[in-house]
Amino acid sequence: MKGKILGIFGLLVALCLFMTFATSTPWHSIGTSTFLKAGNLQNLLSRTALYGILGVGVAFVIITSGIDLSIGSMVCFSGVLLAIFLQVDYRSVDQALVLSIDSSTRQIDLDTPIKGLQPGDRIRYSRGTRAPTALFTIDTVITDHGTQQVTVKEDIRKSDTTGEVAKAVPIQAVERFPEKESGYGAQIVVIGTPALKTQDRITMVHPTSGLRTEDIVRADSSTGSTTLYLSNDPGQRLTTEWFAIPLQRHQRMPIPVALLSVVVIACVLGLIHGLLVTRARLQPFVVTLCGLLIYRGLARWLTGDNPAGFAEYSDGLCKLASGRLELYSDAAGNTFGVPYPFFILAVMGTAAAVFLNRTIWGRYLLALGRNEEAARFSGINTSNVTLMAYVICTSLAGVGGILFALDSLSISPSSFGNFFELYAIAAAVLGGCSLRGGEGSIVGVIIGTAAMQVLNNLITLLKISAPLEGVIIGSVILIGVLADEVFKRIAAQRRLRRK
Amino acid sequence: MSTPVTLRLQVRNICKSFLGVRALHNVSLHVGEGEVLSVVGENGAGKSTLMKILAGVQSQDSGEILLDANRLQFRSVSEALDHGIALIHQELNLADNLNIGANIFLGREPGRRGFVNDAAIYECSEHYLQKVGLNHSPKTLLGHLTPGRQQLVEIAKALSIDARVLIMDEPTSSLSAGESERLFEVIHDLRTDGVSILYISHRLAEVEALSDRVTVLRDGENAGDLDRSDVSHDSLVRLMVGRDVSRFYSRQPHEPGDAAIAVRDLVTSTWPEHELSFAIRTGEIVGIAGLVGAGRTELLQTLFGVDCPIAGQIMIGDNVVSVDSPTAAIQAGIALVPEDRKQQGVILEMAIRENIGLAGLRQNAHAAGFLNFPAETVDSDAMMKKMNIKAPNDRQLAGTLSGGNQQKVVLAKWLALQPRILLLDEPTRGIDVGAKQEIYELMDALAAEGMAVLFVSSEMEEIIGMSDRAIVMHEGRITGELSREELTEQAVMQLATRTAEATVGA
Repeated sequence: MKGKILGIFGLLVALCLFMTFATSTPWHSIGTSTFLKAGNLQNLLSRTALYGILGVGVAFVIITSGIDLSIGSMVCFSGVLLAIFLQVDYRSVDQALVLSIDSSTRQIDLDTPIKGLQPGDRIRYSRGTRAPTALFTIDTVITDHGTQQVTVKEDIRKSDTTGEVAKAVPIQAVERFPEKESGYGAQIVVIGTPALKTQDRITMVHPTSGLRTEDIVRADSSTGSTTLYLSNDPGQRLTTEWFAIPLQRHQRMPIPVALLSVVVIACVLGLIHGLLVTRARLQPFVVTLCGLLIYRGLARWLTGDNPAGFAEYSDGLCKLASGRLELYSDAAGNTFGVPYPFFILAVMGTAAAVFLNRTIWGRYLLALGRNEEAARFSGINTSNVTLMAYVICTSLAGVGGILFALDSLSISPSSFGNFFELYAIAAAVLGGCSLRGGEGSIVGVIIGTAAMQVLNNLITLLKISAPLEGVIIGSVILIGVLADEVFKRIAAQRRLRRK
Repeated sequence: MSTPVTLRLQVRNICKSFLGVRALHNVSLHVGEGEVLSVVGENGAGKSTLMKILAGVQSQDSGEILLDANRLQFRSVSEALDHGIALIHQELNLADNLNIGANIFLGREPGRRGFVNDAAIYECSEHYLQKVGLNHSPKTLLGHLTPGRQQLVEIAKALSIDARVLIMDEPTSSLSAGESERLFEVIHDLRTDGVSILYISHRLAEVEALSDRVTVLRDGENAGDLDRSDVSHDSLVRLMVGRDVSRFYSRQPHEPGDAAIAVRDLVTSTWPEHELSFAIRTGEIVGIAGLVGAGRTELLQTLFGVDCPIAGQIMIGDNVVSVDSPTAAIQAGIALVPEDRKQQGVILEMAIRENIGLAGLRQNAHAAGFLNFPAETVDSDAMMKKMNIKAPNDRQLAGTLSGGNQQKVVLAKWLALQPRILLLDEPTRGIDVGAKQEIYELMDALAAEGMAVLFVSSEMEEIIGMSDRAIVMHEGRITGELSREELTEQAVMQLATRTAEATVGA
C-alpha cells in the first residue's frame, strides 16, 4: 500500500513539475508559469477538494468490493434539494387572496381581513388581467367572521375574477444618494410601521407610471412612520406620489436545517442502497445504476428541468464553497488563499483515514473486503459493516453535492454532476483502491484526485483540444494501474527468488 | 501378484521444482494396459504435480515419459489429449449451464462453418453415456445432475476422445457412497476394456479395493510400491507417513467433567426432517464421523450461528442460548475452525497479526471503537509462540504461510478469545504431517485444560486416534455413538453407511 501511495504521489509531483516548465516561456523561467499562477493553483485546490470528498466516499464502498454509480446523480439531487430547501420568496406584509369580485358593485371579497384597512387606503391588485401597477382606493370595508368585503372607488373589469390584493402605504419623503456616498442608494420614509428588516424588500408603485423593487439595507421605525434605507438608488422618478408595498423575505428553511436535511436524506438513500445490497442481496452495480437514473430523474422533475440557483446566497453561504482563507497579499494586488472546501476535505479525509485505519469498523471493512466469508466466520456482522460503507459513500456524495452546487451558483439538473461517479471511482483506483476489495487508502485517493485535476488542468493550459480530455485522462489511469500491476509482479518474483 | 500386462505408460526419474522448491525428485512409475494403479501419499507428497505433468498442464524439469515405449514431451493439455491421456480433476471442470451432450463435446463440437450439429452430439453422447452407465438424455442440463453423475459425465467425456490413460484425482471426494459404488463399477468396466487408470485418493479403503498396484509418494519421492496382495491399510500408512502410526495421535487419559454443551432436538436447515441431540462434557474430545454430505459441516455451522437452526435448543452449562449469529456464538464461548481454511478461516491478504486479532477486536478495543494496537501485538506475539507458527514475523501476510501454519493462525484467532467449546471442521485437511501432529497435541492439551472439543473428520484414523467418543452421522441424522472402546473402523463405517441393521453402541 505504501508503495502504491508513493507511486501515485510521484506521478502527481512529476505532473506538477512538467506543468510548471511546460507553461513557462522560456521553459526555465518559472516566474512566467501560468500553472503556478495563484488563480490556477487556487482553482486546482478547490477542484481537488470537491472531487476528493466524492472519492473518499466511494473508496469505502470500493473497499467492500462494491461500487457506487449513483454519485453524480446524488450530487445533482442534493444540489437541487438544497436549492429547494433554501428557496426564498417575498410576500407582502398585509395581503389577502381574492375570493370573488363583483365588477358592478365594485366589491371584492377577501379570504382574510387585512389589518388596519380603512376607507381611503390604497391596495394593489395583482395577478388579474390588470397591470401590476394597478392601485385601487378603498371606499368601504366590512370585516366579518374572518373574511372581509371591500368596495373600491375605481372601476373593475368584468374579466377580473381572482387574484390577490396587498395594502400599499404612501411614501412621505424620498432622499436619493446616486453616488452611494452614505453606503446606500436612497432613503425613503413611509407611513406606518411595517415589520421590515434587513434583506426584506420594498416594491414601489406609481399608479400610472412605474414599478420598482429594491432591497432594504436597514429599517428604522419611529411613531407613525418608518425610514427605509435602500441598497440601490431607485432613480429620480421616485417621488412622494408613489406608494410602497413592503415585502417580507421568506426562506423555506434556516440554512443549518437545510444543510442537515440534505445530508440526512443522502444518509437515508445510502441506507437504502446498503439494505438492497446486503439484505436483498442485489448487486451493487445494479442498485446504484438504478440510483443513478432515479436521482437524476427526481432532480429534473422537482425543478421542472429548470436551473436551480443560489443567487440569494452568493455573498453568504456560497462562500463556503467558493471562499478562500487569504494567506498572502501584496501591494500589487496579488493574493493567494486556500479555498475553504480544502479545509473541509482535510477534516473529512482525516476523519475517514482515522476511521479506516484506527477503528475496529475500519478493520472489519478491510477484512470483509478481502474475504467476506472469513470475516463472517470470525464473528463480524458483515452486512452491517457493508451497509455502513454505503451510508458513508452516499452522505459524502451529498456533502460534495452541496459544495459543488454552492460553488457553481446555478445548476442545471439535466447535466450537473454527470460522470462525477466515474471521476471519483477513477481517482480511487488511481489512488490504490482495488475494485476486488479490501485495499484502499484515503491519502492515496486524495492524491489520485489531485493528479486527475492536474491532468485536467494540463489540457486547459496547454490548449489541447477539449475532446481529447477523456483520451488523456483514461490513458494515464490505464498506464498508472498497469505500472502498479507490473511492479507488483516484479516484486513478487524477486521475493520468490530470494527464498 | 498382478497379472502380467503390456506396459502402457512409463514415467522415469521425473524432477520438478517451483522456483527452487523441490516438488518431485526422481519419481518413477508405470502402468500397464487395463491396470488400475493407485498413487497415494500425504498432501504435498507431489501426487497432483505428477499428474499435472502427465496431463500436459505443467512440464517436468528432467526425466522422461514413455507412452507405448515412445518418448513424449507434452507441451499442452491438448497434446496430452491427442495421445489419449485425460485428467479428471478433483474439482469438476464442466459447465453446469450446458447440457450433458454439449459438455462432452465442449471445444470439439461437430459441425460446419461454425454451426453446431446438435443431432450428431446427442447421438454420439448416448453411446458414451451408456458406457459409464448413465441413463440420462444427453439433453439434460448438467446442473440438474448430482455431483456423482457429473463425475460420470466427465468420464464419458474422457472416453469420447478415446482416452487410453485416465487419471482420476480424488474422484470420490464429493460423491455419496452409492455414487462411489457406481464409479467403481465403471472403473472395473474400463479396466476390462483395456483402459489404464491412474487413481489418486486419500481414501485408503477405496485404494485397497480398487488397485492392481499402488505407488506411494512421500515428500516428492518414491516411497515404495505395493502389489495387490501386499496392499493393506497399515502397509499404506507406514509407507505414506514413514513412521509408526500409533505414535501419531497423542492422547493423555483424563476424566471429562460436566456437560459443556447440550444440544436437544436441533434441526438444521439442510436436513429439516431430522432432529439432532447430543451433549459434550468439558475436557472431552468428540469426533463426528460420516461420509461427505452426511450433514456434519452443517451441524457445526449451525452450532456456530452461521446457519440458523430451524428448531431445537442449545444449552451451554445451565443456560439455554440462542446462537443466531457467529457473534452470539462467540459470546456464548463457542469457536469454529471452519472446513475451508482459505475461504472461511484466514484472510490470506492480511497480516498474521491482524488475522489473529480479528475475532477479538471488539473485546480489546478502546472506547468509541478505536483499535487497541498494543493489545493486538501482545496477543499475536503470545500466540505465535504458543502455537509455534513458523514465520519471520507476524506482519507477514497469512497467504505466505504453509497450510499447517495457516491453520494454526485460525486456531490462534480463537484461542485468544479463550472459548469453552471448540468446534473443528476437518482440522488437518491439507496440512503436512508435522503440523498435523502439533494440532493433535494442541487438541489434547486444550481438552486437558477443560475445553470441550468437537471435531469433524473424514479421516478414519483421526477419528479413532483422537476421539474420547465418536458421533456418527448419515444423511443428516445421528446414527450412533461409539465410546473409545467401541471405536473401530468397521463400527464407524457401518454406522456411516447404515449397512448395520441395528445402531451399534448407541
